[in-house]
Amino acid sequence: MSNISKAIKKVDSEEKMSGKAKYINDISYDDMLFAMTLRASESKGEIVNIEYPKIPKGYTIVDHNDIQGKNFVKIIFEDMPIFAEKEIKYYGEPILLVVGENRAIIQDIINNIHVTYKVKTPTYKLRDSVIHYEFEKGNAKEIFNKAKKKIQFDYSTGYQEHVYIEPQGLIGLYEVDKISIIGSMQCPYYIKNAVMQALDCDEKGVRVKQTTTGGAFGGKEEFPSLIACQIAIAVNKIKKPIKLIYNREEDMEFTTKRHPSNINLVAAIGENNEIQAIKAYVALDSGAYIGLSGVVLQRAMIASSGVYTVDNIEVTGDVFETNTVPNGAFRGFGAPQMMFAIEMFIHHIANELKIDPLVLRNKYLAKQNDITSTGGKFRDIIIMDEMINKVMNMSDYKRKLSEYSKEGNFNGIGMSWFLHGCGFTGSGEQKHIKALVKLRKEKNNHVTILVASVDMGQGIQTTMKKIVADILQLPIENIIYNNPDTDLVPDSGPTVASRTIMIVGGLVAQAAKLLKEQWVEGKEITVEKRYKQPKHIKWDEEKLRGDAYPAYSWGVNVVEVKVNPATYQVQLTGVYEVYDVGKAIDERIVLGQAEGGILQGISYGSLEVMKNVNGRIQQKNITDYIIPTSCDSVNIKTVFMDNPYLLGPYGAKGAGELTLIGGAPAVALAIENAINRRVTKIPVTPEYIMELIDYGKN
Amino acid sequence: MVKSFIPKTYKEALNLLAKNKLTIIAGGTDLMVKNKNISGLLPKFKKDLLFIAHLTELDYIKKEKDTIHIGANVTLEKILDSFHTHSLLKEALSIMASPAIRHIGTIGGNIANASPAGDTLPVLYVLNTKIVVKSLDSERTIPINDFIISSGKTILKENELISEIIIPDNKFDYEVFLKVGARQADAISKISFAAIANVSDSIVSDFRVTFGAVGPRIVREIEIENNIIGLTTNELNSRCKEICDSYKKFITPIDDQRSSAVYRKKVSLNLLEKYINSIK
Repeated sequence: MSNISKAIKKVDSEEKMSGKAKYINDISYDDMLFAMTLRASESKGEIVNIEYPKIPKGYTIVDHNDIQGKNFVKIIFEDMPIFAEKEIKYYGEPILLVVGENRAIIQDIINNIHVTYKVKTPTYKLRDSVIHYEFEKGNAKEIFNKAKKKIQFDYSTGYQEHVYIEPQGLIGLYEVDKISIIGSMQCPYYIKNAVMQALDCDEKGVRVKQTTTGGAFGGKEEFPSLIACQIAIAVNKIKKPIKLIYNREEDMEFTTKRHPSNINLVAAIGENNEIQAIKAYVALDSGAYIGLSGVVLQRAMIASSGVYTVDNIEVTGDVFETNTVPNGAFRGFGAPQMMFAIEMFIHHIANELKIDPLVLRNKYLAKQNDITSTGGKFRDIIIMDEMINKVMNMSDYKRKLSEYSKEGNFNGIGMSWFLHGCGFTGSGEQKHIKALVKLRKEKNNHVTILVASVDMGQGIQTTMKKIVADILQLPIENIIYNNPDTDLVPDSGPTVASRTIMIVGGLVAQAAKLLKEQWVEGKEITVEKRYKQPKHIKWDEEKLRGDAYPAYSWGVNVVEVKVNPATYQVQLTGVYEVYDVGKAIDERIVLGQAEGGILQGISYGSLEVMKNVNGRIQQKNITDYIIPTSCDSVNIKTVFMDNPYLLGPYGAKGAGELTLIGGAPAVALAIENAINRRVTKIPVTPEYIMELIDYGKN
Repeated sequence: MVKSFIPKTYKEALNLLAKNKLTIIAGGTDLMVKNKNISGLLPKFKKDLLFIAHLTELDYIKKEKDTIHIGANVTLEKILDSFHTHSLLKEALSIMASPAIRHIGTIGGNIANASPAGDTLPVLYVLNTKIVVKSLDSERTIPINDFIISSGKTILKENELISEIIIPDNKFDYEVFLKVGARQADAISKISFAAIANVSDSIVSDFRVTFGAVGPRIVREIEIENNIIGLTTNELNSRCKEICDSYKKFITPIDDQRSSAVYRKKVSLNLLEKYINSIK
């Protein structure tokens, strides 16, 4: 067998580089209409009256009265309405669509609709808990009751906006007895299920097709379900194609973001300076509706001991509802918040105890067969020791750390250690998704991959084709993988949670092997494989106990910075990253994930400021919301270390999210080292560095 | 929808300006953003447009005896590339916006836009730049300090067009331009700072300082500068704190979505202090 990791040309690069690729806004139909959204102008209240201007012929208002099914977007809970009926819970909440041919006229109609509200007092503080979880490992409570010495710090993290290049957008099409939704998305079947509920129809009544998607980062996991329901209702009423595309500002202001968090960590310290127990409390701001927040909270809580094995842990967490734009899925899904906090905390404990952080960290670094925070087991080989050695050598970490730690030196170096649970939390795959994949061998001996996973730039069309081509020993050109269409592909689950290669790719590989056995020249053959949870994996969804994930990917990042003592600006001077993703299916594609991921993590930790003032997002465009340019980056040094996972295709585990998670703690630790002050929140902006230098503690 | 005028010559442009109320558009890098519409629709301009970017008569850089003359239509990138351009102006241009914007944005546009965060402005102020403005029947030359009234406002009349800028071609013993933005490129300044000084026989013979993005106008205080000129460098260094304090009341930044007033003020004074301490 050839080396699967050897990079091949990305199958979609030519189409995208040449501009031939059709994104949703490039597609139009003859009698197509446009839709725009009328949004609430209050953060909390009730709609008392809506006064409409004279609506010209050919223009239509679509609101909650037009919904045949339930006025809820099917996500997890029935909490978010498709269109507000009476109650308004956040500024910008959609009330209705105006649909018509000319967008200037639509805009004019929207500007002349007057909504009167009975205004109520909104909540922006984390006060109203809507979800509460807790779990314990060992006897943490008892130890804390007796503990003589405790070390405690509070950490906080801000919003993060996805800034996918292509804003949200969909087109709805009317066919006899069927409504089709096409557009930019991660999860065709999420949309299909949501639209079926909104239209109160069976599965034949809805078809969902992905179009070439210009980035997503989690932002197109659950959000497109909302606009798909709106568009489907409009198409059902008007019976013409309707396009809804968000402008950049509308997208940044009113679509989901990463949950801001407050995290409180306490360590019980024994007589020999050992960490006897850790108590973690996580508070997430869900915004106005819960959406996926509970699952995000679970992932954050499960990550509360980071890469360390601590025998006694007590973890509690709340999701708080506020009258702000709802937050949702984002690459990392709760883990980046917690991994920032725990990585800072382990350093802050070491500093308080006056011991070398590296010594303390090594003492607690998880080993194979250690028990996880939820009482599961790290079953597979952990190669963190080799990875840490590698990155320390690459970056000359020890020498630089000692040099940069000298008084008056404004250089800094920071190293983060982290892991990411691959796939859905707990028994999600088995209980909720039940992924099914198919391969169809065509008469001409080409093979079509039938899965619902989307390529959103992460390269899945290339890697999936590579797997099938390699197993069947066919040229890559003979493998077909079209953008998924729910009328043609089975539900292999959403394109989320770093599950696509490990779970769906694993099933595709199994199906390819099956097809190889059944191969008959010139005959059409279809094979299928459905996910089965490995028997040794057990999870208690109620108590959050057991194996939270089937496998873990691991990472070590080193970030070097220089802080300008006059302007407090941070300049990146070095970035080094080493990962265990099992096995890279295509080295260049995983390198793309690695470089993009760490940069997104570093900028989450140091650049990306988004604030909500009285329910209003302040940074609404990419002039004000700062993501890095190539001038802000350095030549990133990346190494992948093979550690094949038995149940992944070729040993592959998850890679997409892992690479974002270590950036924020590594850059925060580097800045801490440069300015000799304790950093407890991200993003570490120049404004915050100024405060720390003037008033902070070391 | 607005009308667009595309004159063939500079004279024709002035003629059109004399007869119509027009928005003058050169590179459009500010105007297209300010007047942008929702995706797929034309920008929302209020007045008819006069396109001037193609007028080659305003596209020149030439050196005269003690001055450099730059036509209003010269793009920022072209100025950056020119042999004649003052080193301090090059410094500002080299970190301004992005290559794409520099290739289309013009110097005349950056001045007429009159944003206190405009990156060429602190340098043009510190270099005592003059602006030449023409109408069909008049011409006037105005120091940039008088040309810009406040944020977004200039003394340009409706029938006038900037024709060129004149920069005295002086060399300085000390010159600094610093831009503090949230990232290394494509950033709007949180603070910008330009300063020059000459020292002969340990006496400060020239001293100028400007701050951008810390108030409605570029800050330049001639009175403070005049009090400094004539000091020995030792006196200058020892009075550093006093001088910084004297600038405090003129630096009046705001809190906004890009930074805080406290940060802008403190960093402005840090930069001034560092600059004064560098003069020996």
